[in-house]
Amino acid sequence: MDTLLAFLTIFTHPQLLMLVGLGTFAGVYVGAIPGLSVTMAVSILISFTFSWDVYPAISLMIGIYMGGVYGGSRTAILLNIPGAPSAIATAMDGYPLAKRGEAGTAIGVTTVMSFLGGFVGIGILALAAPMVADFALRFQPRDYMLLAILGILLVGSLSQGSLVKGIFAGALGLAVGAVGRDPLTFTERFTFDLSIMEGGISFIAVMIGMFGISEALMQLHHVDKAAVRQKISRIVPSLSTVRKHLPLSLQTSTIGVIIGALPGTGGDIAALMAYDHAKRVTKNPERPFGEGAMEGLVAPETANNAAVGGAFIPMMTLGIPGDAVTAIMIGALFIHGLNPGPMLMIDQPDMFWFIVGALVCANVFMLIFGLTGIRLFSKIVEMPRAVLIPLIMLLSIVGAYAVNNSINDVYWMLGFGFFGYFMRHYGYPLGPVILGVILSRLLDDNWRRAIISEREDLGRFFMGIFTSPLSLVLFCAVILIFVSQTPIWTRAKRRLLGRSGKEVEQ
Amino acid sequence: MKRFVFGAVSAVIVSASCAMAQDYPTKEIQGIIQWGASGSTDTVMRSVTPHAEEALGGTIVMQNMTGGVGAIALNHVAGQKADGYTLLMGAENPLLYKVMGLGDKDYTDFIPVNILARGTPILVANPEAPFDDYAGMMEYIDANPGELRLGATGPGGLPSVVTGMIGSVEGEMDVISVPYDGDGPALTALQGGAIDVMPAVLGAAIEGIRAGKMKPLAIFDVEANPKLPDVPPVTDFNEGYNTYLPWGPFFGVFVAKGTPDDVVAKLSAAYAEGAKNPDFVELMDNRGFSMMGISGAEAEDFLAKWQQGTTWLLQDAGLTKASPEEFGIARPDAD
Repeated sequence: MDTLLAFLTIFTHPQLLMLVGLGTFAGVYVGAIPGLSVTMAVSILISFTFSWDVYPAISLMIGIYMGGVYGGSRTAILLNIPGAPSAIATAMDGYPLAKRGEAGTAIGVTTVMSFLGGFVGIGILALAAPMVADFALRFQPRDYMLLAILGILLVGSLSQGSLVKGIFAGALGLAVGAVGRDPLTFTERFTFDLSIMEGGISFIAVMIGMFGISEALMQLHHVDKAAVRQKISRIVPSLSTVRKHLPLSLQTSTIGVIIGALPGTGGDIAALMAYDHAKRVTKNPERPFGEGAMEGLVAPETANNAAVGGAFIPMMTLGIPGDAVTAIMIGALFIHGLNPGPMLMIDQPDMFWFIVGALVCANVFMLIFGLTGIRLFSKIVEMPRAVLIPLIMLLSIVGAYAVNNSINDVYWMLGFGFFGYFMRHYGYPLGPVILGVILSRLLDDNWRRAIISEREDLGRFFMGIFTSPLSLVLFCAVILIFVSQTPIWTRAKRRLLGRSGKEVEQ
Repeated sequence: MKRFVFGAVSAVIVSASCAMAQDYPTKEIQGIIQWGASGSTDTVMRSVTPHAEEALGGTIVMQNMTGGVGAIALNHVAGQKADGYTLLMGAENPLLYKVMGLGDKDYTDFIPVNILARGTPILVANPEAPFDDYAGMMEYIDANPGELRLGATGPGGLPSVVTGMIGSVEGEMDVISVPYDGDGPALTALQGGAIDVMPAVLGAAIEGIRAGKMKPLAIFDVEANPKLPDVPPVTDFNEGYNTYLPWGPFFGVFVAKGTPDDVVAKLSAAYAEGAKNPDFVELMDNRGFSMMGISGAEAEDFLAKWQQGTTWLLQDAGLTKASPEEFGIARPDAD
């Protein structure tokens, strides 16, 4: 009964309900603008809500979080500029749809699927949080390393066209991610004694440059061409469309929750892994991936919103942040006199159920705001390019500066923007660069931790992998996915399966 | 005529600077926080400052400026006018910048307004570790050399200092030191069994200890802590620690050297008043911090001693980039 009351707190207080709504609305737009990130918005809110009570402060933050994760897909679809790192995969099939004038449909599907993914995440948070948290704790440095390798193998599905160029782009990303002071020993790496390199290259600056500036430069080629008229008659996807993608969306939501619950990995990696998963399991997409496949939208969008619920799991059960945003929220709880940690659920179960309630509420608001503002939003793509392109550039600069209030980030952003333009020009995919930057630290730090823990002994390292079921499963997955991308696989499959090979090939 | 103008101008300047000190503050004060939103420093500063504002009768606008282990914020404040309108809100790290090769400025370029509080280090272990206290851990290390995995956060971090202390009191330990990005991720790893023992600040570990997710081995202080009265201080196991303890990370508010004395006095009084606020005291108590509230010569003395002790400890543990001697930091007298 108390639980139910706590869960319903949000719905019975119009003021809290309004704050969640306001937060979600603001979040959608903050998320949509490249460079304005949810993490940033929530950290600003910390000082803004300092003197408030804890419930209103948390309501507003949760709204922004949920809305922001979803909002990133908007500009990804309409302008090919992901508003947030977790929307990178969404751009790959979303933008081709917008180019055909089907932005309305794309946004509609994205919204409904984000809503669905959000609910799966919240559901698992509400029902199985302690179990998932225990599972997440079991990940050792070597498991994170294997997970990062799994991530790097996604390069194959992120590079349309030449795999070699994709591998080059991925390697470039890994190198960019390694620049700066090494976080484990504070030694400078690849800094060439330049002060601009010392702090490392902001991953957000690289992303904004590569996607924002380079896209704007690309569009300059067709500055005179009329914009594509968008059909926005059918926004809400039909029930049959939703039902058709339901199995896939449940799978990708699960990926989202687990990756979201792991401390150190978040919605960005979850969305990319989900995209890759969709590409693997979808045998006959209506349109090929990269040209506007619905599955290519469903997978990342369910995963990144499911990751929100996932990120709350270790936060609520253990006081360990699941990602950057929940890390700030833990600080907010401290400031408001709560003691987030393993005892929070026991000392203050109301707080847990209040947060679950607020998340449900934010998810519903997201659906409402997502489906209503589309007409207006689609007008953005119909704007004359002479207006749109300078606007994108301006937003990119503001966004890059705002991340750390650092002018260096703007220089990096512009530099990577021009570089990205030429990469696009010569057919190098940009997705793998970002993937590389995201995974660089995860791979590097955890490989070193893993091998240091085993006294720098490879034998003991592999012993560790083969004696832990979790590591073994991840290791096998890495081998399997790697082999499946080589010609050996197709040859072996043909030989082993003989006649039935034909069916498999389909 | 020329002389008259000169006289008038200098009179205006003199009276203006007098007025400035008397009326201080006449405009918004900038508070630059060295660390990101919701970190310990941020929490401490954002909770004490509103109370200090009240006592001061002015506005302090706080801003987080991160990067370079806090050096970017420090250099920024050092580069502003020394008029008391830019405050540095920081932690202990700058005292190690010089020996760590992270910068050529530290708190000796500043005047301490108020050193608010100090954290207490504690040694915690995974609940399944085959020992229950500090003595048991040392025996385990002796019996199983090179097996114990000890968490770390990079040279200069709290774990490196505590590990250095253990090394100099007990002699070199044969353990594996596994580096993490901060004590948060390391304590997570401790609960997952990736590391066995972690030196952490009390406030970060206390909830985990309460829940039985980690077990305390010893408090790194000369006496037991009221938050965890049952955990013995490390000096109970080895008297040798008295040389180095009490030691701990701290939080303080600073202004650049050259700030007029009366401005510093006003700020010091305001922060001393603000730090007495019961809400703030409760917050600090919950996070396991010990209140200090010192300023003036006492604070400068504290900083100097802290720097001497810690830099030489790190130097002896071979963790520094440059010897403290190069910067005129004298080796502390053995007492």
